[in-house]
Order: sequence, then C-alpha cells, then structure tokens
Amino acid sequence: MSTATTEIQLTRKDFVSDQTVRWCPGCGDYAILAQMQKVMPELGIPKEKIVFVSGIGCSSRFPYYMDTYGVHSIHGRAPTLATGLAVSNPELCIWVITGDGDGLSIGGNHLIHAIRRNVNLNIILFNNRIYGLTKGQYSPTSRQGKVTKSSPMGSIEQPLNPIALALAAEATFVARSIDAHTQHLEETLRRAAEHPGTSFVEIYQNCVIFNPNEWDGLSDRSVRDDNILYLEHGMPMVFGKDRNKGIRLNGFTPEVVELGNGIEEGDLLIHDATSTQLAFILSSMEYPQFPAPMGVIRDVRKPDYVSQLMGQVQTAQAQRGVGDLNKLYRAADLWTVNEREDVAAKVAGELSLDMDEEYVDNLDKADMDATTQVQDQLIESSIADLNPHVPITIDVQSSLERATRQLNLHNIGCLLVTDARDQLVGIFTERDVLMKVAGLVDDLSDAKVADYMTPSPVTIKPDQPIAQALHLMSVHGFRHLPLVDEQGHPTGIISSRDVVAYLNQAVN
Amino acid sequence: MTETITKEQPVIEELESVAIRFAGDSGDGMQLTGTQFTNTSAVLGNDISTMPDFPAEIRAPAGTLAGVSGFQVHFSSQDILTPGDAPQVLIAMNPAALKASLPELEKGGIIVVNTDAFTKQNLAKAGYKANPLEDNSLQGYQVMEVAMTTLNRNALDEFTDLSNREKDRSQNFFALGLVFWMFDRSMETTKDWLYAKFAKRPEIAAANFKAMQTGYFYGETTETFQRRYMVRPASLPAGTYRKVTGNEALAMGLVTAAQKMGKPLFYGTYPITPASDILHALAPLRNFDVRTFQAEDEIAAMGSVVGAAFGGALAVTGTSGPGVALKSEAIGLGVMLELPMIIVNVQRGGPSTGLPTKTEQSDLLQAMYGRNGESPVIIVAPASPADCFDIAIEAARLAVRAMCPAFILSEGFLANSAEPWRIPNAEDIPTIEVTHPGPMHNGDGPFLPYLRNEETLARPWAIPGTPGLEHRVGGLSKAPNTGNVSYDPAHNEQMNRERAEKVARLANAIPEQDVFGPKRGDLLVVSWGGPYGVVRSAVQRAQREGKSVAHAQLRYINPLPRNFKELLGRYKHVLVPEMNNGQLAMLLRGKLDVNVISYTNMTARPMKIANVKAKIDEILG
Repeated sequence: MSTATTEIQLTRKDFVSDQTVRWCPGCGDYAILAQMQKVMPELGIPKEKIVFVSGIGCSSRFPYYMDTYGVHSIHGRAPTLATGLAVSNPELCIWVITGDGDGLSIGGNHLIHAIRRNVNLNIILFNNRIYGLTKGQYSPTSRQGKVTKSSPMGSIEQPLNPIALALAAEATFVARSIDAHTQHLEETLRRAAEHPGTSFVEIYQNCVIFNPNEWDGLSDRSVRDDNILYLEHGMPMVFGKDRNKGIRLNGFTPEVVELGNGIEEGDLLIHDATSTQLAFILSSMEYPQFPAPMGVIRDVRKPDYVSQLMGQVQTAQAQRGVGDLNKLYRAADLWTVNEREDVAAKVAGELSLDMDEEYVDNLDKADMDATTQVQDQLIESSIADLNPHVPITIDVQSSLERATRQLNLHNIGCLLVTDARDQLVGIFTERDVLMKVAGLVDDLSDAKVADYMTPSPVTIKPDQPIAQALHLMSVHGFRHLPLVDEQGHPTGIISSRDVVAYLNQAVN
Repeated sequence: MTETITKEQPVIEELESVAIRFAGDSGDGMQLTGTQFTNTSAVLGNDISTMPDFPAEIRAPAGTLAGVSGFQVHFSSQDILTPGDAPQVLIAMNPAALKASLPELEKGGIIVVNTDAFTKQNLAKAGYKANPLEDNSLQGYQVMEVAMTTLNRNALDEFTDLSNREKDRSQNFFALGLVFWMFDRSMETTKDWLYAKFAKRPEIAAANFKAMQTGYFYGETTETFQRRYMVRPASLPAGTYRKVTGNEALAMGLVTAAQKMGKPLFYGTYPITPASDILHALAPLRNFDVRTFQAEDEIAAMGSVVGAAFGGALAVTGTSGPGVALKSEAIGLGVMLELPMIIVNVQRGGPSTGLPTKTEQSDLLQAMYGRNGESPVIIVAPASPADCFDIAIEAARLAVRAMCPAFILSEGFLANSAEPWRIPNAEDIPTIEVTHPGPMHNGDGPFLPYLRNEETLARPWAIPGTPGLEHRVGGLSKAPNTGNVSYDPAHNEQMNRERAEKVARLANAIPEQDVFGPKRGDLLVVSWGGPYGVVRSAVQRAQREGKSVAHAQLRYINPLPRNFKELLGRYKHVLVPEMNNGQLAMLLRGKLDVNVISYTNMTARPMKIANVKAKIDEILG
C-alpha cells in the first residue's frame, strides 16, 4: 500500500483516447475537442472523476475521443443520464455534449429541466444550425428562409434562441463562444467547469459540409473583432478592431454607437453577469444586426440539485438516525401470532358485554373467592403428579407419511415436532390428520409435517398446578399439553384423558 | 315505565370467512372505512385480503355510478388467497353504490343501506326508475334499512360547532361502527387511530368516534339485526405480522435490496397511476440513502436510471404500461450498456390510457419484446402483495448477477390490495453480492469493459471514479471485450447471442418450478402474477373433488425455470388463465413448443374462482 498520493501532472495527451476521430475534415468539432483536451489537465480534477455524456448526432461522438469515462447515449436524453449519474455519484465532474438538434429539438424538454434543477453539469451545445448526421435538414436554430434538403423553398419556422431558452429556464451560468476562436473557447470552457451547478455554453460550430458559411463574419480573423462583443463582467461593452464602438441602452433597447463625438465609454452599458435583465437584453442581440455577444453572459450562484438532495439525506440521518430496516418493516400496526388459541382467547375476552353483566350479577350472590376441596386439591397438586407420558417426537423435516405412521405405530393421538436442536416447534395430532390431511393430501411422502402441524404449541411445566392444565384445556379446547424444560426440549406430555382420570379419582 | 324490555340477544353465528364490500361516493370515505375494518380484522388475527376499487376520476359527480368508490375486504379463519369472489355483505351508502355493487353480491347476501340517501334525486342519478327498496327487486337479499344520516346527525347534536355537512362526513364511521358490531370487532384500533390522526383537532376525533359508537350501539339496541357473525382468527404461522399492500411491500423490498448491496437506492420516476404510491413510500426514506428523483417525463426517468446504474447505484424506475412504452428506447440502451437496473411495471388496463385504476396483465409481451432489436431482459412477477417484497430483492439479485435490466411485472390489483405479511428479520435476508473491478495502474494492461465472466457472461461493473478504468460505453454495436464501436457482422452476431445467453443462464440461479398438487396427472394450471390466489383456490376445490389437478405459479418468466418444459410434459393438459388475450400462453407455445389451453379475461377486474373452476371442470369433463 505504498501508493503515495503524489499529484500526477496530467497533460493534454492523457485525455486523448485510442479511437480514430471520424468527423468530416474541416469540421468545427475538431477545434472544440482540441480545446477540451487542453483545458482538462488544467482543472486539477483526476481524470477518473470526469465523465462525458452525449446523445445522438455528430457532436455526440465526442465522448469516444476523450480518454475519460463516457456514455454515448440516445437521442436527446443525455441530460437525463447525466442527472441520474450526478445523483448516484456526486463526486463526478460531468460534461454533457449536445447539438442544436439533440439538445433543442428531440431533447428540448430534458435540457430545460436539467438547467432549472441546477444539476452540477457542464452542458456544451454545439450549434451549427443544421442536421449534419442525417445529412442536411434544417434544425430548430436554422434561420427563417434557410434552404435545406427538407426545406427546398426555405424554412418557414421561427428559430429557437438557445441563450434566451437557458435564461428562461433560470440557468445560473450561460456563456457563448465559437469554434474558430480557440483562446476564447478555452477560457469559456474553463469558466464553465469552475461554476457549481449547471453551466450552459453555446458554441457556434461550423458544419463544413451542410452549412459551411453560417458563421463567416464571426470566424474570419480579419473581420471577427468588428462583429463580436467580448463580454467581461464589470467592463463597458466596447467592441471593434479599433475598440471604437460600443453598446448603449436607449430605453429598453440596446443600440450600437461609435465612440467619440460626445459619446464616451461612460455612456455605454457595463456588463453585469449577475443581472437577469441584462442577460435577456444580451440574448436578444443577434448578429448581424448586432455584434454577437461572446463570453460569460450570466454567472450567479444558487444551491445545486445534488448538494441539496444529499443535504436532505444527511439531515434525515441526523434527525432520524441511519435507516434501520427492522424499524421500517415494523412501522405499522403489528400483531403477533404465537399460536391460534392465544389470539382466540383475546377476542373472546374483548367481545362479550354479557359476560360482564353475568359477572356483576354473580358478585352479590355467592362468595366468589371460596374454593371447594376438589379445587384446592387441583391447585395444590402439580402436573408431575399426573405421571406425564414420555413424548413421541418427530423431526420437523419429516414427511406426513412418517408422521402418520408414527401415530399408528405408537397408537397415540399426538406427536411432538422438534427441530434440529431438539427444541419443540410444533404439535401434530390425529385431529390435524382428520382436518387437514385425510382426503386432501394426495402424496403423503411429498408433504412435510411442518406444513400441517400447529406451530409453537402452548406448553406447561411439571411444577405448575393441575388446575392450570385444566384451565388451558377447557378454555382452548386442547387435548394435549406438552411439557418442556428450560431449554425448550420436550420432556413429557399429558392428555385430557390423564386429567379426567385424576379428576375422577379426586372426586371419588 | 315499569315495562321490562326483554331484548333477545341476536344469535352469534360462526363463519369461516366473510367478504364485505363498502360502497359509496368517492367522497364518502369508503377506502378509509374499509381500511379501518381491515386493520382491526388483521390485528384480531384474521387472514385478510382486500381490494380497493376506486373511480379513475378523482371527483366524479356525486351520486352517479361513475363516482362509486368501493373497498372489498375478505377475512377468514383460514388461509385466504383472494379478496373473495362475491361479497356476502354490502354496505351501500347511496343508490348508485347499491346499483354498481349489487351484481357482485352473493345471492341471499346482506345489504345495509343508508335510507336517507335514497332520495328521488339520488335514485335518478343512479338511473333507478323506482326505489329498489320499495319495488321488491331486492327480494332474495336480507336488506337492513338504516337512516344513517338522520341517526348520525342526531347523535352529533352536541357538536354544535359542526355544520350538518361536516357531521355527514362522519357517516362512514357510523357505518363502520355498525359493521364492527355485526362482525363482533372491537372499536379500539380505530379509536386509537382517530385520536392519533386528529391529535390537533380532538373535536373531530371525538365526533367521528361518537359516530362510530352510535353505529355500534345502534346494532346493539335495535332489533333490525337478528344475527351477528364471528370469524375466528386464522392459524397463520407464528411470527409478527403487519398488513402490506403490494406497492408498500415493493418499496420496502427495493430499500432492502439496496442495503443488502451496500448501495444507495436511486428511484427515478414520473408519477403514474397505479405506480405512484411506490414513490410516495420511498420519498420519505432519505435516511436510508434513498435518492428519489421525480423526472420531467417517463423518458427522463428511464434515462436517469441508466445514468445512475452507470454511476453505481441500485437504479430503479416505477411506472405503468404507457410509461414503459415511452421508456422502451432507454431500456434498450440499458440492455446494450449491460448495466443492472430494475423497471417496475404496475400494470393497468390497456391499451393506450385504458383503465388507469383497474388491473390487467397485458404488458407481458411488451416487457419481453417491446423494444427495437434483440433486447433480452429479465422478467419476474410477484404472486401476492407480500410477495412484492421478495420479488424486488430477487430482481436486484438477478439484474446484478447478469448485468442486465430486470422487469418486475406487478399489477394494479397487487399494488393496492393488502394481506398480512410475516415480518422478516432484516439480518436473515442474504446480502446481494456485488463486485466492482478495482483501480488499474500503468502496465496492468488495457481495461476491457466487455470482458465477460465465464460462468455468468456478465461484464464488469466499473464505476466512474475508479482510476485506470476510464472507458466509454454507448448504444452503438460493439466489439467483444473492448466494447469499442464495431460494425463487424460477426461482432454483432456474437454480442447478440451473448446478451441472450447471459439471461438464459440465470435459469441456473433461480429455483426449479414447484407445483401444488400431484407431480403428474391430468391437468396443470399455470398462472403468473395476481391471479395466483384465484387459481390456487380453484385448483384446491377441484382437488377436493378428487380431480387430478396441480397448480404452478410462475414467478420467473424470463428466463423460465430450468425444469419448466419437462414439468409441462408430465400432465395431459396445461391450462393458462391470465388477464390478457393469452400472452403467457403464446410465450409458452413459442418458446417451449408445447400445447397449452389459454383462458383469458379482459374485464380488468380480478378473475373469479368459480369461472376458473368451471374451466378446469370443462377440460377434465
């Protein structure tokens, strides 16, 4: 056990899996994969604690290329798997890789619910505004009028705004970046990883085959700085290659202004990543009418789902103690069955109002406490005076066939059933044969005496008075009473016949 | 007033068993009344079996047939297996309740009616043209007419703070008191319950108790009732007992399984009748490290279960047929990822939305085959409410052993019915063996996530967080051992065969099928799930008549017990009664190439012993 926990310095290569990457040459996914593999070693998280979960689509191949734990799941459902994973294993750093079809069309419902629950996930949505894997149909983010294989006359659908959707779902972290701007992308992914709770990042990603010109003005180095608004918390919204333009609020509406001619930085909007209202304004600013806002749009702290859930587990365990199964089973009205007669007596005692009246009527008649001579004798003599018979026992595992043979062989009415430790566990009488066996059981050799005996019979001790035996027999209708020693081993048996014989003797 | 009233005490008649049906409006508290009666009977040691029957519409119009809510309880001094074919006693709180329940009542049975509810308006709502209490249509039954509303209101005069409406709400306790008297039960259990339930509003407890007492003493003092009945306690095996419903037992079984695995229980679900009570039972058990997750939809619930299984929890979802339909794709992913998980389907009447509050067994083939591709899963089915406990533990054991999703096919009938449960000792329940591969270091060789165990063919359950085992799994076709994506035709063939084979090999890990009755003979009746009690009772009756009939209750459906085919061959005929259009029969014919007689029931109400018995008689001539 000499595995000293020396911090192993991970490198980009540690996150490259042995699988050949199969995206189209020139696909924006390559750049995102490269930046992810670059960011990973810098997070200080052991790689066995990192999991990538994806759905279906080009982007969803991503987990296969990361040498971490990973699940390539089914279309649109990655947030659901990731949520279950986070709840079952709260230590993990989980990334959900999705696209505009996977995350916003088939899986739109799961995306908004994962975000609103604030599960500790980093959800990275690759937005290329087209269906790539199915070869070029319009997606929920395709612009109106977009001509594709499934919209030859132009798409007539209003596109979804992923940032606005995440904000509407009360996302605690919302950011945007673009595949072509590797430095910006790297920084955005790092910020997402650092945020506790759900981090939602939209990445503008280029589909080189089916939608190659979608991000032209934003990815081309020569013009992009004039078209992108890089957001920094607490800084005025200045943009442009020459940093000569800015965003000013006119009423509720943002507008692009040129600095100079009386307009200064102080007139511009200051980015505040904690402002809900500002985040919605930024989400409404679409290129090319506005520069595309990039960077962290919103970053606020709220308790995340799994911490709260585990907090409830801890609170419950502190308040009620760690769960005890036996207590759980017994959290209800309980009743104990010792043996049949016991319970019957209890019922008889409870039910009869007449009995009470009779008792009351009798109270003023005779001296209830006086006993007769015979009664005295019954109380003074003990069971031992009856000379109990030696019991015939049978093992609880025996067959009915053996049991009935024993009854016949010994010409007796009752067998005592014992377990492996010779302790009394039941009684099997000729009455049981009459009531439960005769004509009802086809194969005596196949049936166990255990299933037909009366379990846990009422017993009596040699030093108890005969009156006790008489009482038990008359109240419960027993014909036999077994005697057991302190260890529960049967030592004898008395029958009603023995008691009658004794009574006869006593009276005469 | 010197006249002495010499009241004859009614005869107490001893019965072996009685089935009582409480019926009223869904607002009348019939479920509560039935439950209280059941609890009392259980505490007195009777064997019990109950069947609630409530309308799908939570608030159907009062007084109409659609709004009738019933609760049937069967209690006995004998071991009983069903809620009773036909009740002998009906408590009808209004005309609609009478009309809806009368066809079920045994001929000559007792009807206790609340005459105050037999108004013109209520009769019309129930669709009665004439008052059945007056037109001799109830001839042949013993009708006890009680003006419950009036009697109850008068009795509650002293509770001046309560409106008549509020007083009427305790009418069900009046009825309960009367039935307690008729069947010689004590009011103690219910009294305790009332004062505990309404600890903060003792006046409500007092009013309800007063109503119950009034009902009890009404029976005691009037001469309407010539008979009382007594049912002796049953001779159940010694032990401590409680009453459980199938859903309660299932929830406790799942918690137990998780504890026996040393795992948290993850329960990801979306509310659906009749499975929601499992969630309600599990949600308060956070101190058992039960992590319930109420998902946004059925699909999300299943996705979360697959994720939680990957994360190393005992992952379970509960739903009903329509939910399983939505979950199919994610269950298929669970099959492909080869992870252990449990899908509980509390079946209800179908197809489509069907009959949410009624019972059926029509999702067997859905569980077996309802996914794209070859997608074998484990299927087990509880035989009774209490058996739901054992079957939950068994499902977990098999799922872990084979690394495969397991279906528990429960039923609305089992979920809501109650029976006595002999409480086990938690320490006596065997642990469920779980092994996870440990960390690997450089040089230990590549980790092979799909390297199969030679005996079970299960793949290793490697948990994220284990150093050196980083691996990727997914829904795409795979190469053996590495699990890497592969479109190689031979790989697809091999992996399909291995996934089927590992489920088939579970036959070595489950008991052989046993039979009740002769080991060979004229007829074997094979049932699965809820009809257990009905079929067993029918077979017992036939056996008493000397017929050569045996009963086999299948608890394991996929795989089937290893001796099953041979067993069927020992009988001249095999009868399969089930609550669908012959799904198990079809499965047995197809898988075992045997000829079976199918007996089906699609009423969405439990089968009748008499009908199954008649079918047995028909076959044996």
